[in-house]
Amino acid sequence: MFSQTLAVTMINLRSIPQRWALSLATIFSIALVVAVLLGFLAMANGFRATLSSTGSDDVAVMLRGGSQAELNSGLSRDDQRIVAEAPGIARDAAGEPIVSGELYVIVDGIKRSSRTEANLPLRGVGPLAATLRADYQIVEGRAFEPGSNELVVGQSVQREFSGFDLGQVIRLGTNEWVVVGVFSTGGSVFESEIWADIGTIQNLYQRGTAIQSIRARMTSADAIEGLEAFIENEPRLNLDVTNEAEYYADQAGGTSDLIMFLGWPLAIAMAIGALAGAWNTMYSSVDTRMKEIATLRAIGFAGSSAAIGTMVESMILAVIGGLVGAVAVFLIFDGISASTLGGGFTQVVFSFAVTADAIINGIVLALIIGFAGSIFPAIRAARIPLLAVHRA
Amino acid sequence: MNDLTIIRKNLFRKKLRAILLTLSIMIAFLIYGALGAFYNVWTAGVDMAAANRLITVNRINFTVDMPIAYFSRIQSVEGIENVSHANWFGGYYQEPRNFIQTFAISPEAYLESYPELVIPPEQRADFIADRTCLLVGVDLAAQYGWEVGDRIPLNSNIWQQDDGTSDWDFNICALFDGDEEEIPANYAMFHYEYYNESLAFNRDRIGWMVVNTTDPDLNDQVARDIDALFANSSAETETTTEAAFSRAFLEQVGNIAMILLSVIGAAFATILMIVGTTMVMAINERTQEIAVMKTLGFPAPRIFRMVLSESILLSFVGGLLGLGLATLIVEGASSALAGFLPGLSMPMDVVLTAFGLMLGLGLLTGLGPALSAQRLSIIEAFNKH
Repeated sequence: MFSQTLAVTMINLRSIPQRWALSLATIFSIALVVAVLLGFLAMANGFRATLSSTGSDDVAVMLRGGSQAELNSGLSRDDQRIVAEAPGIARDAAGEPIVSGELYVIVDGIKRSSRTEANLPLRGVGPLAATLRADYQIVEGRAFEPGSNELVVGQSVQREFSGFDLGQVIRLGTNEWVVVGVFSTGGSVFESEIWADIGTIQNLYQRGTAIQSIRARMTSADAIEGLEAFIENEPRLNLDVTNEAEYYADQAGGTSDLIMFLGWPLAIAMAIGALAGAWNTMYSSVDTRMKEIATLRAIGFAGSSAAIGTMVESMILAVIGGLVGAVAVFLIFDGISASTLGGGFTQVVFSFAVTADAIINGIVLALIIGFAGSIFPAIRAARIPLLAVHRA
Repeated sequence: MNDLTIIRKNLFRKKLRAILLTLSIMIAFLIYGALGAFYNVWTAGVDMAAANRLITVNRINFTVDMPIAYFSRIQSVEGIENVSHANWFGGYYQEPRNFIQTFAISPEAYLESYPELVIPPEQRADFIADRTCLLVGVDLAAQYGWEVGDRIPLNSNIWQQDDGTSDWDFNICALFDGDEEEIPANYAMFHYEYYNESLAFNRDRIGWMVVNTTDPDLNDQVARDIDALFANSSAETETTTEAAFSRAFLEQVGNIAMILLSVIGAAFATILMIVGTTMVMAINERTQEIAVMKTLGFPAPRIFRMVLSESILLSFVGGLLGLGLATLIVEGASSALAGFLPGLSMPMDVVLTAFGLMLGLGLLTGLGPALSAQRLSIIEAFNKH
């Protein structure tokens, strides 16, 4: 039985060149379906990866109650002073609490891809901001001098936006700034930010002494509960506390799910279209081999071996198509940098990520097309009457 | 038996094959129609922008505000017909996830800035007279089941009142709609005064200004004059046309046009290959019949026309079904998505382009087989066998 099936399958595969145009059309149509699916998944996964690599479990982010985003929030230096004495906040070698009050001004950057203005976060920070970000390091140039009009930009900003080269003077609104350094934070959202001295920003953008968010390093991830209880019982404070990792993970959901919800239905619709192609190809494969199949049946081959041979042919074409699509998407899209409007109402730069999971999904979709496209032709192959031997 | 009957019989001689090809073409046009309708709504802000409307924002970024004094200073610029101002309220209803796009506006002037917003005259008068009135778009009202006369609170995730609360009480006294389907009516507006007088912080600031010029030819001049007026102040301005402003905002989300074009391109490349190769195969199978027809005296151009018509017919059958299905889906989803994508409908230019694509697909897939059928030599065709 197995050797029969193998023999029929080999006959099928050797006859593919007779139908090269149809077979190629099937391969490419399935490749396109897989490419569309993987393109969307690469976008969704890339965006999600950037946001989920952002934030630490042991950092607490505090915003004004009900404000939901840093942009909407407004806090005072007093809030920061009170929070700094809360229990569970880690202290540095000098015994100072690791707390950072930060300001967030949205400024215009010029997106390289479209040459249009896009929202970039100009974050005003103090000396402790860098210690609160895992993997923060200056990769080029140096840190800004406190009190100066110097700024440092994230690697991603430099990649996607023009005008942020080292040493360049850049005008953000009314004010001129000098780019003195480039920083990286291991691919997280912070690389899509511009950092400068908080005092200078408060001064230049008329923010008084206001801040918008407070970040604090906790002694452990669990210590955040103690901080919440402290804030709850402190009538002078009206703050929402979130674990920093969760704060960014929440922002990933919407956009990344939306991309998935668009990508899957489109790929499935296209798969149905490609199914017609596979089906058609397999029918013609069975048609042109009528005589051979009938001959094999006459010398004792089972009908099922003809059916399985047809299915295997179809699924091999489908897998080739799936692989072509996956390789093409990987070569063209993997690692490509793009940016979109993130949860903070500013640009989040991310890289397309073609993951192994996504490729498996793509190949499975290709196999489903190949299988479904071969069912009826296979049944037909199994039912070819022996008399077809005599047919022209 | 006329030619059309032969064409139809030929097309459907292998029923399953014809159905599969139709299905495949239908899917491509379904994708085209649905994405085309989506794109139309997506770019409505650019397409519906009035030619003489400018947007003035803080030069730092449009999220940064400016002094209310700018509103009166700008009036002196020549070539201006009307100016209004607006603030982003950051509103939500009951729960933060029930996000409501809400603007605090200069009521009379803002409605003059946007003449395409239609309000029944008595409601319009009520809105202008009542400072606690919330003017609600019909799509938004439908989403929450609000009617004129309802009293609702809206919270702000940004602003607080003097007393520390963040909810403003409103009286829904008027509804507005756009005079065209594409104009969004999924947001709400209320008096700037009502908002400003109770603010705990940031009083007397405005978010942006809407400037109508007396003539679109004056746009550049007016924009330059406005920005010059506030140059070297603590809040410099940046004035652009409404269309440019909307386009830049859409670009912030990403190059949606390119993504959609790629998907549509992939869908059409698929059917081009599938239908193209199948048509070649179908005509090859008929080599002998065509030779017989030629022997019977069918002129070559007639055979050419018949084969080409067959592929065009196939393309139109599949294309119309797909476009029809896309229209059904779009119209069906339109009310469910009104809050998110207001004015979703099948636009005429998408329909017209689809017809062009159907014709193009039919010609492209039929031309080769039709030519080979036309050139077919009777003797060779019979010899082959």
